[in-house]
Amino acid sequence: MSQTYAAGSVGTGTATGLADLTPRRMLQLALGAIWLLDGILQYQAFMYSKAFPQMLASSAAGNPAILATPITWNAGFIAHNLAAYNTIFATIQVAIGLGIAWRPAVKPALAASVVWALGVWWFGEGFNGILTSSGSSPVAGAPGGVIIYALLAVLLWPTDRAAPFEAARAVGRRTAQALWLILWASLAYFALLPASRAPHAISQTISGMAAGEPGWLSWIDTHAASALSGQGLAASIVLAVACGVVALGTYLPRSAARATIVLAIAVATALWLAEGLGGIFTGSGTDPSTGPLLALLALTFWPVHAAIKQKEGA
Amino acid sequence: MGGPGWLAGILAAVMLTVAVYCAGRLVVARRTGRPTEVDADGVHVFMGVAMAGMLTAGLKFLPAGTWEAVFALGAAWFGWRLVRVRRNAQATASPWRCLHPLPHLVECGAMLYMLAVAVTVVSKSTGTGMAAMTLSATAQRFSIVALALAVFMLGYTVWLGDRVAATALAGGTTTTTGHACPPRLAPRCAALCKIAMGVTMGYMLVMLL
Repeated sequence: MSQTYAAGSVGTGTATGLADLTPRRMLQLALGAIWLLDGILQYQAFMYSKAFPQMLASSAAGNPAILATPITWNAGFIAHNLAAYNTIFATIQVAIGLGIAWRPAVKPALAASVVWALGVWWFGEGFNGILTSSGSSPVAGAPGGVIIYALLAVLLWPTDRAAPFEAARAVGRRTAQALWLILWASLAYFALLPASRAPHAISQTISGMAAGEPGWLSWIDTHAASALSGQGLAASIVLAVACGVVALGTYLPRSAARATIVLAIAVATALWLAEGLGGIFTGSGTDPSTGPLLALLALTFWPVHAAIKQKEGA
Repeated sequence: MGGPGWLAGILAAVMLTVAVYCAGRLVVARRTGRPTEVDADGVHVFMGVAMAGMLTAGLKFLPAGTWEAVFALGAAWFGWRLVRVRRNAQATASPWRCLHPLPHLVECGAMLYMLAVAVTVVSKSTGTGMAAMTLSATAQRFSIVALALAVFMLGYTVWLGDRVAATALAGGTTTTTGHACPPRLAPRCAALCKIAMGVTMGYMLVMLL
């Protein structure tokens, strides 16, 4: 039952197994699966309780008034008919995930992904606190996992353009490199803000994630917090240097670029553990936070082998 | 943990529909001679009924031990099929058996996990209207298993979604002996059933985190 299916500029592949999918399509499907997970997490009991709009409203704190007022208004609006609105939110995310999976709907789903992610970044996460006076820390999820969904949707937009890595196919090599540089340089910058560099900032952030987690994850976070207690400045410098190296990675020769992509995935994994996997075991996590998204983004910058480019061009 | 009771009710209804549809596929396939994945459809009949019972207590009419035996048998079958396919995919290919046993093996494993760890499934009519799948304290230590299974099921679901459009193009098949077979029975509907099953199972596993 091996049938070739060409979906316009989505690319070509056969319908037999994962090995027959192009790397680009695999990355799109991974993004779709994460959206699907997000949508299902949104159906949790916590999101139907008053705690959910309260959590949304709390993200307004510290933001400039012009940005905070709509966040507060939105939280109050949702609270009036919480069950209906939350169900709509969850269903939209499930639909985005399934839309990305269904080839004829890839483009509308990716476009919706960008719009929805930007909306959630503002009204749901208050820009993850990056505009507050003390800033936010990468360990606390800065600049916000949801903005990486939008970035991934742009970089994984269906196209037939040849490029040295998947992320460059939609927007071109230089633009993709610039986006990568901005993201990772911003992570390095956030790592040096008071929210990270204060002596106990990182350790308190990590220990705060341990509550409600299963034993093994709580153990990791508690021990990591203990090891980093009072070492905020040193930890923030190490994190900033690592992010800085990753930021420059795509401008390096192929072998060095691959090494920095591996470093990016390692940093993403460490951040994910520090974030308590986004709190998805606590019943109140709305998404898996930045870790998996940074790792997925890193894979889109993995230098593509010439043979794969030829296969996709065929 | 839990989700809204009305959602559990809807998903239970969807699961029963999938079970009835898959049972119907088996009957129609036998009468018309059009191939269908007998093993996958068969396990989905049981899975749909069992999942409906887990989602809504009123639909639970068999003890967990019986279901565990059913899905242990299913896991053994798909495990054996997986080994056979890995060894020689061509020789074991048949339009009457599932082409990809691994997801069905994981589905059976997920059912065994859920039956083992979910102490009670309560469709409460409380003030919040939430359905709760209660876990034992020991089982919460293994919530990483639920996460791994959920991620697999959601990945499988998007992969199936990718295949839905391609499945529509599927025409007749050829057996390993070279004989032409009639086209598969409603392959797109079969894929949609698997997607519904995957999303629902992913939902149930996430609620067990």
